[in-house]
Amino acid sequence: MVLTMEKIQDTFDPKPRKFIVWLFVVSSTIMFGGFTSYYLVFAASKGKGHGLVLPDAFIYSSLVIIASSITLVLASKAMRKLNFSLQRNMLWLTVILAVAFGVMQFSAWSSMVKTGATLVGNNAAISFIYVVSGLHLLHIIGGVGLIINALVGSYKNISPAKSNYRMEIASIFWHFIDILWIYLYVFLLLNR
Amino acid sequence: MSTIALHDEHNHDHADHGHHKETLISKYIFSMDHKMIAKQFLITGIIMAVIAMGLSILFRIQLAWPDQNFPFLETFLGKWAEGGRIKPDFYLALVTIHGTIMVFFVLTAGLSGTFSNLLIPLQIGARDMASPFLNMLSYWFFFTACVIMMSSFFIQTGPASGGWTVYPPLSVVAKAMPGSGMGMTLWLISMVLFVASSLMGGINYVSTILNMRTKGMDLWKMPLPIWAFFLTAILGILSFPVLVAGVVLMVFDRSFGTSFYLSDIVMGTTILPNEGGSPILWQHLFWFLGHPEVYIVIMPALGISSEVISVNSRKPIFGYHAMVYSLIGITVLSFIVWGHHMFVTGMNPLLGGVFMITTLIIAVPSAVKTFNYLATLWRGNIRFTPAMLFAIGLVSFFISGGLTGIFLGNASLDINLHDTYFVVAHFHLVMGSAAIFGMLAGVYHWFPRMFGKMMNAKLGYLHFWLTFIAAYLVFFPLHFLGLDGVPRRYYAFTEFEFMKKWLTVNVFVTWAAIMAALAQVAFLFNFFYSIFKGKVAPQNPWEANTLEWTAPVEHIHGNWPGEIPTVYRWPYDYSKPGHDEDFIPQTVPFSQTMSSNLPHDFEGNAEAEKIQQDWELANPVEENKG
Repeated sequence: MVLTMEKIQDTFDPKPRKFIVWLFVVSSTIMFGGFTSYYLVFAASKGKGHGLVLPDAFIYSSLVIIASSITLVLASKAMRKLNFSLQRNMLWLTVILAVAFGVMQFSAWSSMVKTGATLVGNNAAISFIYVVSGLHLLHIIGGVGLIINALVGSYKNISPAKSNYRMEIASIFWHFIDILWIYLYVFLLLNR
Repeated sequence: MSTIALHDEHNHDHADHGHHKETLISKYIFSMDHKMIAKQFLITGIIMAVIAMGLSILFRIQLAWPDQNFPFLETFLGKWAEGGRIKPDFYLALVTIHGTIMVFFVLTAGLSGTFSNLLIPLQIGARDMASPFLNMLSYWFFFTACVIMMSSFFIQTGPASGGWTVYPPLSVVAKAMPGSGMGMTLWLISMVLFVASSLMGGINYVSTILNMRTKGMDLWKMPLPIWAFFLTAILGILSFPVLVAGVVLMVFDRSFGTSFYLSDIVMGTTILPNEGGSPILWQHLFWFLGHPEVYIVIMPALGISSEVISVNSRKPIFGYHAMVYSLIGITVLSFIVWGHHMFVTGMNPLLGGVFMITTLIIAVPSAVKTFNYLATLWRGNIRFTPAMLFAIGLVSFFISGGLTGIFLGNASLDINLHDTYFVVAHFHLVMGSAAIFGMLAGVYHWFPRMFGKMMNAKLGYLHFWLTFIAAYLVFFPLHFLGLDGVPRRYYAFTEFEFMKKWLTVNVFVTWAAIMAALAQVAFLFNFFYSIFKGKVAPQNPWEANTLEWTAPVEHIHGNWPGEIPTVYRWPYDYSKPGHDEDFIPQTVPFSQTMSSNLPHDFEGNAEAEKIQQDWELANPVEENKG
């Protein structure tokens, strides 16, 4: 009995699990959709948005996160060509860029605080910037976890199917949070 | 056996089936087997239901006898019922937590968690969920949420008491009332865990249904419960994240002093510093989840009763495709009706009109489903099993509760009925009664599948009739209070002249509620006694067609020894003319049922039609000799 079960389970099918990641992406999109619709209704009913010139650090962090997506694509390409050392280097680079992104978000917040646009204040639209960028940063932490998971997989001797799966879910999620940030940034630029 | 070397790596990528030696902990506690997780959800759900029912009896006592002292209340509740009379603050906490537990912990997690987990892999022919690990996590998040919610009864200021919809400012300003403090914080923590649990569950269900069906199980061969669970999970994935967004903003308002929902609030003589927010925005975010949530509650129950009614009528479900399309219709419409909870918030009348129309359109798919149930019963060879009675009870409550939905969906009527007992009566008939009956139908029907034992039918009948009658006696009179304008959540009817005349009705309702609660003892005894001492269940006790009854009665990891069975036909071939039995399981190929095959069974497969025609020519139907 146990033997037959093991035989059946031998094949590793990544498809349903990858699908889970996609569904998570969907639900996360909905959550940020909820936030931004809060903002739209708020701004429409009050006749005002956050009214700030967004700190330059947000531009740099946007560039950094786009770069991190590119390095992740390069890592996937390297893995497909079986060039594992390049894959690892690119993954490390992605992690470093992710950390840089986090640092820039913090510096953006601190420059906002300096100009008096603090989290707690009379304008919920300004508080909103902190909340959405903060929640996005939580997603970044999760994404870094997935990249490190792929990295660990490439150092350890796991089957190519699994290693491939880890890379794929890291990529799905990371490109998603990249696009998500661009969306949030453009949204905040357009709805001042 | 190449995977053996990998097992020690502890990587969560791997489906951990049947490899490890099962210990007590891995089998009963941190189980990753969907059948065990289903039982965990069910038993936790039952415990929470009993607790929430107990809370309702407490506030019903207050409503019926606001001037009397009940010393036993003080014994149980201490300072919350000093002198044997429930305090107003605690009364509000009771209705809040009763609602929260019933809607979220019983009818969402207890219902979807139990039956989606049990039936999805078994009815579509899968070994387990897409991610058994996530599934286990989903249960433990739910369990933790339950514990945290209950722990709020053990703090000085008591549980959250601003109503289950936690509208600001009561939910945000910590000093607004005792329950707005620590109790509300615990409520929010508990709900965050609960939402995480629901999302993990829902994502798993959708992925499993779309990716892991056995050979031959195309979407149009899925049993209706699976369709219902599938669409329910999609609803959850698309609506719960919006609640998260709302809750995050609420947490910031409470704990960091932002003003997302607050503005111009004066408490006593002090003016709060918050400015610029809007409490209406919470209502939008809440009801964008909240309305789909009520369909998350009712759709699994509808799916379960479709199956139970068809099996026990010994007839194919009437309008299988119409059933699916109406579920899809309900799913889509449920996202564009949330404004009907907010007709009295000063909404633009044009917008109110739009929400009114979308709301009333939901009556169409709901009516399609109701008529299909009735048409399935019509001239069926009905077997009145306890499960069947509860399924029929669901149809009854769904009709009587649904009708008042048409009243409430009308903006002009709702302005009068809003926040009255009419609303309470309406949603207790559709959620509190119909959905609970669907859940109980499921428990009676699949108990043999879960525990390998049969429940006692006589106790089941007793349970059904007492509950059915009592539920109508409780909720029907409440409509009239509502029509008279009696507001919900009021503590003492003696305080208002126009409400005094309803006191006698309240006494009647409370006695009926006590009768309903006592009826549940029959169920609880039956349930727990049968787990251990019930009659051993046969392989297919209800002579049903679906796949779960082909799996061995003893539970094994992976559900079927050897190959997963292949599916050849839809699940509702009951009483098919020409066949010698009144059911044909999904696993029986058409080649074994030549005498009953119909042309449309072959879905346009010319070769199969030809074989069938040749067979019919060779085996002419015998003339009726009678």
